Amino acid sequence: MNKELEHKFISEFQQHQKIIHKVCRIYTNNKDAHNDLFQEITIQLWKAYPKFRGDSKISTWMYRIGLNTAITLYRKSKRTILTQDFDTVLHKIKSTEYDNTEEEQLKLMYKAIHQLSDIDKALIFLYLEEKNYSEISETLGISEVNARVKMNRIKTRLKTILNP
Amino acid sequence: MDELELLKKDWKKQDANYPELSYNEIYKMIHKKSSSIVKWIFIICLIELFFWSLLNLFMPEKYLEIYDKFNLKTFLMITQAIHYSIVIVFIYLFYKNYKKISVTDSINLLMQRIIKTRKTVNYYVYYNLILYALLSVVVNLIMFSNPETLVATLNPENKIIDSSKFLNIMLIAQIITFFVVIGLLWGYYKIIYGFLLKRLNSNYKELETLND
Repeated sequence: MNKELEHKFISEFQQHQKIIHKVCRIYTNNKDAHNDLFQEITIQLWKAYPKFRGDSKISTWMYRIGLNTAITLYRKSKRTILTQDFDTVLHKIKSTEYDNTEEEQLKLMYKAIHQLSDIDKALIFLYLEEKNYSEISETLGISEVNARVKMNRIKTRLKTILNP
Repeated sequence: MDELELLKKDWKKQDANYPELSYNEIYKMIHKKSSSIVKWIFIICLIELFFWSLLNLFMPEKYLEIYDKFNLKTFLMITQAIHYSIVIVFIYLFYKNYKKISVTDSINLLMQRIIKTRKTVNYYVYYNLILYALLSVVVNLIMFSNPETLVATLNPENKIIDSSKFLNIMLIAQIITFFVVIGLLWGYYKIIYGFLLKRLNSNYKELETLND
């Protein structure tokens, strides 16, 4: 409809598209699911764009919409988590057989993250993005204290998943 | 937690690995409504099939008696079986269109597939209209070529009526029904599929301007 708005959106989106890829990386575990989610988030962002007034940074807004889309989408289908569990078990067996190389450790970490709840995934994602607690609280709409408490819990939970 | 630090490092390293979409690719993505329209075509076609099957299932036997008298029951059963197989083929085609469109990522291919979907929809509508017309004509021809049986069936108590006048009225009524039903069917397809096709078309035109 509005060509000018469209042009502005696409240019801004293009600059920050990595954010969306990273959201997809946390919430999906194969290429197809990644691309599907990427497309879904892009469409949601475009739909929400006319209401974006610029009172926060465009990147913060993209984090928020991206995470919300991923969370609502994955609430509907829990499929990925189910297949994940099986994979994780296999990897655990492997990792005790061989030495824990860095790569192996990373794989385990990603698997562990995939086992977290949708909200926890969002938190760990923002942590990896090196957002401070005030940014996390703004993006997720929770208080800073709450974000801090949750983050500590997630770290403990990750530890128990990795070292049962 | 060392692992988290390790992960953070790796996370940053990954930054360079994500694909960069061009302006055009993003444009196409936010205009990619085609796959959802094609999905609706597929769903509506399914609903239609269920609706007609249910209607057939609950049709009272009495209604079909008249066809029995003209030995049309087997004929109608066979046509119905053929009809349902054809509809299933159409459903399969719609499904294939939907699957293909949702994974297409080149604009040219997407345009081609939109055209293909449009063709399939048109064939489906024509098929349904022609089938109804053909079937009505055939059934009526058979019924009116045996006027005695027709009068006897419709006038079981043998009241005294003017046979030729009765048949004339019947014929006119049948012709009117024929056109009304064709009109309704045409209107239905025009509204439902016409609406979806229109949106598909406007999407096609947008893609066209993008390709210029």
